Amino acid sequence: MSDNIVAEIKKEYIYDLAKRDERVDGRALDQYRNISIETGIISKAEGSARVQIGDTQVLVGVKIQPGEPFSDTPDKGVIITNAELIPLASPTFESGPPREGAIELARVVDRGIRESGAIDLAKLCIEEGVKVWMVFIDVHVLDHDGNLIDAAALGAIAALLNAKLPNERYDMGKDVQLLVEDVPVAVTVAEIGGKLLVDPCLEEGQITPTKLTIIFNKDDAVAGMQKSGTGMLTSEQVYQAIEMASKKSKEIRKKFLKRS
Amino acid sequence: MKGKPEKLIVKGKRLDGRKLDELRPVKIEVGVLKRADGSCYLEIGKNKVMAAVYGPREVHPRHVQEATRAIVRYRYNMASFSVEDRKRPGPDRRSVEISKVSRESFEPMVIKECFPKAAVDIFVEILQADAGTRTAGINAASLALADAGIPMRGLVSSCAAGKVDGQIILDPMKEEDNYGEADMPIAMVAPDNITLLQMDGHFTKDEFKQAFELAKKGCAQIYEMQRQALIAKYGAEGKR
Amino acid sequence: MSKDLTIPGDLLSGDVRLAGEGTYIEDEKVYASVCGVVDRGEKIRVVPLTGKYMPCSGDVVVGKIIDVRFSSWTVDINSPYEARLHISEYPKRINPGETNQHLGIGELIIAKVTGVDAAMRVDLTMRDGGKAIRSGRLIEISHTKIPRAIGRGGSMINLIKNETNCDIFVSQNGRIWINGREDMVTLAADALLKIEQEAHTFGLTDTIREFIENAKRDRK
Repeated sequence: MSDNIVAEIKKEYIYDLAKRDERVDGRALDQYRNISIETGIISKAEGSARVQIGDTQVLVGVKIQPGEPFSDTPDKGVIITNAELIPLASPTFESGPPREGAIELARVVDRGIRESGAIDLAKLCIEEGVKVWMVFIDVHVLDHDGNLIDAAALGAIAALLNAKLPNERYDMGKDVQLLVEDVPVAVTVAEIGGKLLVDPCLEEGQITPTKLTIIFNKDDAVAGMQKSGTGMLTSEQVYQAIEMASKKSKEIRKKFLKRS
Repeated sequence: MKGKPEKLIVKGKRLDGRKLDELRPVKIEVGVLKRADGSCYLEIGKNKVMAAVYGPREVHPRHVQEATRAIVRYRYNMASFSVEDRKRPGPDRRSVEISKVSRESFEPMVIKECFPKAAVDIFVEILQADAGTRTAGINAASLALADAGIPMRGLVSSCAAGKVDGQIILDPMKEEDNYGEADMPIAMVAPDNITLLQMDGHFTKDEFKQAFELAKKGCAQIYEMQRQALIAKYGAEGKR
Repeated sequence: MSKDLTIPGDLLSGDVRLAGEGTYIEDEKVYASVCGVVDRGEKIRVVPLTGKYMPCSGDVVVGKIIDVRFSSWTVDINSPYEARLHISEYPKRINPGETNQHLGIGELIIAKVTGVDAAMRVDLTMRDGGKAIRSGRLIEISHTKIPRAIGRGGSMINLIKNETNCDIFVSQNGRIWINGREDMVTLAADALLKIEQEAHTFGLTDTIREFIENAKRDRK
C-alpha cells in the first residue's frame, strides 16, 4: 500500500537532518514528544489509561476477575496481555486476528510488567489451586503516529496503577487498590544514519532500519529489551541507547507515574 | 451483578432521574484522530465510542470492488474492557450482525456513484458499553463520514425506544435494557427515511406506534446535536 | 455571493438547473452532499472543507512512484485512485523494460493528468513540463486549502517565494515541493502549514508576511 512507501527525498531529508543532530519535527535527538496521560476513564474496567505521545493515542483497559490458576502455578495469579492494532488506528492496519506486529507489541508490554515484578502474582491468589485473580491488560491503539510500544507500555503501567481488585462484585469484601510493586517504563530508541534518537515519530519509525526498546525498573535495572527491524547496531550504540533510554525512563516515571 | 430493581420508574422518573422521553447526556467531538480521514468521538450516558472513516480508498482484495460505485464497509467492535465481564477480543456473531445492519443504515445515504471501484471503510470502536452502543456507533460514524468529506444525502441519526414497567421510554440505559420488556433501535435520515429498525421484546401495536414515534423524536434531537458538532468543527472555516 | 456553512442534506434550492458540485438532486430539489461553503454563482455549488483529492484531466500533480512495471509506473497521487505513467509519456525516449533505470519506488514526479475514464483509470504525462523531483522538500496539505496557499492571482505563493527565495511548486493534489536554501525551505514549509491551519481567518496574507518577517528577524 502507498501509505507504507516513504518518498525518497523525505527519507534523504530525515537522514540529512540526523547528520546535523536534527529531526523532522524539530526535536533534539534525546527529546521525547509531549506525553499526556488520563487515568480511570473507563469505569467498566478495573483500571484504565489513555496515553498520548504526540498524536499517537493508546487506550489500555485492565479487567480483573477471578479464575482458575494454571496447574503448574496453583498459588499464583495470572496476567494476560493482549494488543489489537485495530484498523481504526492507521490506514495500514487491517481487520482480522492479531498479526506479528500486534503480538510483538503485546509481548513486549507483557515482558515489562512481568519481569519488573510490577505485579506480585503470589498476592493475587485467592484460594490455592482453585481461585486466583486474572489480570487482563488490553491495549487498544486508537491513532498510530509512531512509537506504539512506549505508548502501550506506559498505558499498561498507568492503568495498573489506577486499578482496583473488584472484591465487592464477587462478594469478597471491599474493593482494594491493586498492589503495584514496581513501575517499569519502556523507552524506544531508533537508529538513523548512525545517530540514535528517542521516541521515533511515524516517519522516523517507517524509515529506521533498527529500533531498540529498553524497559527499566524503578531502581534503573533493565527488565526487558527488544530490538526490532532489519538493521544492525554496534555494541557502542547499544550502550549509548541504554544510557539515553535510562535517562528518559526516569523523567517519565517521575513526571507521569504516580499512584492515582 | 446486582438483581433487578423492584421498579425502574418511580413517579414518572427513571433510575438516573430522566423523564420517560429524555435522552442521556450527549457529548460529541468531530475530527479527533490524526491518521483517519474522518473521525468522531461520542459519549451518550456511559457509552463511549470512537468512529473513524478511511476512504474512499482502494479496495483490497480487488475482486470485491464494484465497477461503477464504491462499496461501504462497516466494522463494529467492542473493546475487551468495555463491559463488566471481559469480552474476548475479535468479532463474535453479535458484532457481525450489528456491523451488517449498521452498514445497511448508511448504504442508501452515501452517494456511492462518486467513487467507482473504491471502498469507504467505517470503523466503530466501543470503548465503554452501557446499552445503546449500536445507535451511538451509527451517530458517531455519520459524523466521521461527513468529516471525511464523503458525499451523503444526509446525516444518519439513531436512537432507541423501549418499554419498562409497561411504559414507553426513550434511549434505554443498561438496567432498562436488561430488565425492560422491549427494546427498539432505529436510525433515520430527515425527513422520514428509516434506515435501521430492529426490535426485541413485546409491544402491542399501540405501544409500537408510541415507541416508534418517540424514537423518531429522539433521532431528531440527536440530529441537532450532530449538526452542532459539525458546525463546531467547520463553522469557523465556513465563515471566511 | 453569500457564504455559509452547509452540512450533508441541507436544502439549497428548488431549482434543479442550478445543481453544481457538492450537491445532489432529490424530489426536484437541490441539497448539499458535503460539509462546505455554499457558493451561489451561476450554479449553486458547495466548496468542500474536507475530503480527498479527485483527479481531473489537466491537473498538475506531484506523484509518488509506488510500483515499477515493464512499460509503465504506478503512481500514488494522494487520491483514492492510483495513476499510470506509460513510458511513452516519460520526457525521454526509453524502451520497455528500462523503467527501473529511470524512476524507482518512492521517487517523486511532477506530472499532468491527461485523462480520467469512467472506471477511474488515471493517466499521467511528464512530457508537458513534468520532471522528477530529486532534491528539496515535500510537504502535504489538504487539497481543499490549495487555493488559499496560492492566493488571489498567486499573491500568497509569490509572497512566500519572494520572502524566502525558494522555488515552490504547488500541485492540485495538496503536495507542495520546496527547493532552496535549507533554512529558507524550513521557513516556507512552516508558512504553508500555517496557511493550512489558519485558512479560514481574515487577513491571512498579512499574517503570513508578518510570520515570515518575524522568523527572519529571530534568525539574525
